[in-house]
Amino acid sequence: MAKKITLPRVAKGKNLIYLDDNSVDNILAMVMTLTQEISVLTDRLDTIENLMAKKGQINIDDINSFEPDNELQEKRSERRKILLKRVLLPIEKALDSK
Amino acid sequence: MNKQKHSMQPIPSHDEAVRQDFVTDFRAFLTDEIYPKITPYYQSKIEPDFIKEHGRKPEDKKEVQNVMLQDSAYQSWSFLQRISQQMMFTSVIDTVERTLDELIKKTKKYSELGSLELDQTIQIPRYLTAYDIHQQPGGYHTENTENDISAGVVYDISLPIYSGDAMGDENDLLAQATINFIKNNIKTVPKKILDMGCYIGNSTLPFAKAFPESEVYGIDVAAPGLRYAHARANALDASVHFSQQNAESMSFESNTFDIVTSCLFLHETSHAAIPKIINECARVLKPGGWMIHMDVYPFQRNVVEPLYDFLKDWEVINNNEDFSGALREMDLQGIFEEAGFSEETIEFTSAEASSETNKGYTGDFYLKLPVYVAQKMA
Ligand SMILES: C[S@@+](CC[C@H](N)C(=O)[O-])C[C@H]1O[C@@H](n2cnc3c(N)ncnc32)[C@H](O)[C@@H]1O
Repeated sequence: MAKKITLPRVAKGKNLIYLDDNSVDNILAMVMTLTQEISVLTDRLDTIENLMAKKGQINIDDINSFEPDNELQEKRSERRKILLKRVLLPIEKALDSK
Repeated sequence: MNKQKHSMQPIPSHDEAVRQDFVTDFRAFLTDEIYPKITPYYQSKIEPDFIKEHGRKPEDKKEVQNVMLQDSAYQSWSFLQRISQQMMFTSVIDTVERTLDELIKKTKKYSELGSLELDQTIQIPRYLTAYDIHQQPGGYHTENTENDISAGVVYDISLPIYSGDAMGDENDLLAQATINFIKNNIKTVPKKILDMGCYIGNSTLPFAKAFPESEVYGIDVAAPGLRYAHARANALDASVHFSQQNAESMSFESNTFDIVTSCLFLHETSHAAIPKIINECARVLKPGGWMIHMDVYPFQRNVVEPLYDFLKDWEVINNNEDFSGALREMDLQGIFEEAGFSEETIEFTSAEASSETNKGYTGDFYLKLPVYVAQKMA
């Protein structure tokens, strides 16, 4: 059994406020993490679909050891970009306003 | 695409890998889609509003900063850029935490080439402990377990995400540019080379490979990086002597090295440390030896466009790079001369990576790299 070691996940530094206050910043950070998790789920589903198209029957190891080729990587990148564009639309719009 | 670039790197699980991929794409999105909007936005909205109020344009970066930090559109981009760095680290730390025990065991196997000397009595300078530089949780030096290498591994596998895969498989693009500079301009075949602030050896190993006849040394204050550096060098078949030392006061004898170099190091020290480090460079160099530091910022103090000047400082405030702004204001020329470098050899110029090492990347940031060069008096 590997030893369980816990690593720090928060960096030490000044507390900066970007938007109205820390809670607004926190909500935007949480939205981006949720967006990331949607992307993870979508990629997992994409892995399953790709394996199913090839094999018919698959198990959890097939999924976990799946490595997308370059073409699939690019397709996924494109799809993530569309996801980001949707989520960040209000921010893009604000920067486009004159 | 295989994420593992050498055998001391951990292999991310399926979900960890795609979580890291998201961060790469998020950062690319910010760079390609959002950041280019800032200058036009400033010119069409922020600056005209400022002119309406003051009857003139903002004069310097301070005035630009005062208005930009009040602007929610700019601040939204800035915040997203900041948290993309945090997300990079958390997504990488998952992998390192899960595999750490195995990786530490593996370091024993990868220890034959070169050497590793740690010094448990070393004091980590305050400028490295006061806050975590570029937001890496725990910084460079924190030890979370016995024989810890975690901070080094985190640094190694986050760099490709940070740079959008622009640094090369061995994260060696910057050092390759320094080596090109030495080969083209200095033309000595060095017998002994020292890399200061070497951390995991990204900037050290390329010297061992480019100058196979020379002895290459790397020093750093942070043990987790050095342990990993030694194992990583072995995994990549390079022989380097790593030791834990403070660059402000090293144990090497005087007149030892033909070349003393550093990469992304000076801007992460302090006002008080810089003259000491430069004095040490002069001391350990042989007469006629060369010092060459590569850093992120061009060292020139001529006046630039206030908006550009303000944006250039983004990392200083938002990515915990507190000293990097102040370094640009220092009189390095004077400090170099004072330390014993000959005036006519001091140069603040740039080095270029060649097209074989840059993998087709053409962004200025990676291709024209600032170097500060000087020769010790013969
Ligand atoms: C950004 S890292 C650069 C690592 C490496 N040269 C590279 O190119 O990837 C800066 C390193 O400088 C080290 N450092 C900072 N101050 C130091 C000092 N006074 N003596 C030795 N190392 C120092 C830090 O521990 C850190 O590893």
